[in-house]
Amino acid sequence: MEKEQYIEFESEQQEEKKEKVTENIQQLGQTNVPQMTQDTNIHCLTIVGQIEGHIQLPPQNKATKYEHVIPQIVAIEQNPSIEGLLVILNTVGGDVEAGLAIAEMLASLSKPTVSIVLGGGHSIGVPIAVSCNYSFITETATMTIHPIRLTGLVIGVPQTFEYLDKMQERVVRFVTKHSKISEEKFKELMFSKGNLTRDIGTNVVGPDAVRYGLIDEVGGVAQAMKKLRELIEWKKDEGKMLQ
Amino acid sequence: MILYTIMPEHLIFPAASDEYAKQKIVYYDGIPFLARETETKEWEIVRNLSTNPADFLNQKYAPGARISMPQATS
Repeated sequence: MEKEQYIEFESEQQEEKKEKVTENIQQLGQTNVPQMTQDTNIHCLTIVGQIEGHIQLPPQNKATKYEHVIPQIVAIEQNPSIEGLLVILNTVGGDVEAGLAIAEMLASLSKPTVSIVLGGGHSIGVPIAVSCNYSFITETATMTIHPIRLTGLVIGVPQTFEYLDKMQERVVRFVTKHSKISEEKFKELMFSKGNLTRDIGTNVVGPDAVRYGLIDEVGGVAQAMKKLRELIEWKKDEGKMLQ
Repeated sequence: MILYTIMPEHLIFPAASDEYAKQKIVYYDGIPFLARETETKEWEIVRNLSTNPADFLNQKYAPGARISMPQATS
């Protein structure tokens, strides 16, 4: 008797499942394809929109929040099944402190990292792009290099200038340390006139960014994934040699 | 009136405070999402914040999908 009940229960379940599928087809005109269940060893972090720091942006803005990205980087560092990280940038920049915080976190990650700039990696997106072990930029992507600006009320002018200058120095030092560009060249691009509308700075397009030594290579997702796999293999071999 | 300024728009025209409450970061099936409360008191996915690319292949987690009873955080 018990067995009969069990069979009945099972067939009921199957029917329910069937109903769900038909429901899905009726509602959306599609059914779910079976998904990959295995864990991928490469994770991808997308830095999109504005980089949000101390001030919360209104919800209509697309923003990358640093209080959310930083714990994710910590989780990636801790998870042993994740072997590499691909950072995808399409950002207009934003908060300097938040951007530098993300860049420092990525630079200090022990796992191989590869960044790829799609569309734009402007302003504070530049240190984030160079913070990875290897960086790519697509042919049409651009990066705007400009001095640090302040939007808001300024009270003590000399003090504010000094503060901004120090902050800018941090950005310059980070970028020159993590990429092949010289400080002189980076500053030249930062302060050049006539490139941006009513502002100083330079808009660097993909191949130019590579020529200046800011980015390692022009390429897309295929090249980036290939490089990341190479770096992962290299890291594994290095571990073996040490043992 | 045309206003020329270098100030960001959100500093000049601040959004109403209840606008902020509509969106929240929630964890659903262990995956972080940016979700929005709809008029019908359901939660709708705005953005998938996961770093695992496999999570983006699932139709269930696509933007616009409804999720039930999220564990609200932040």
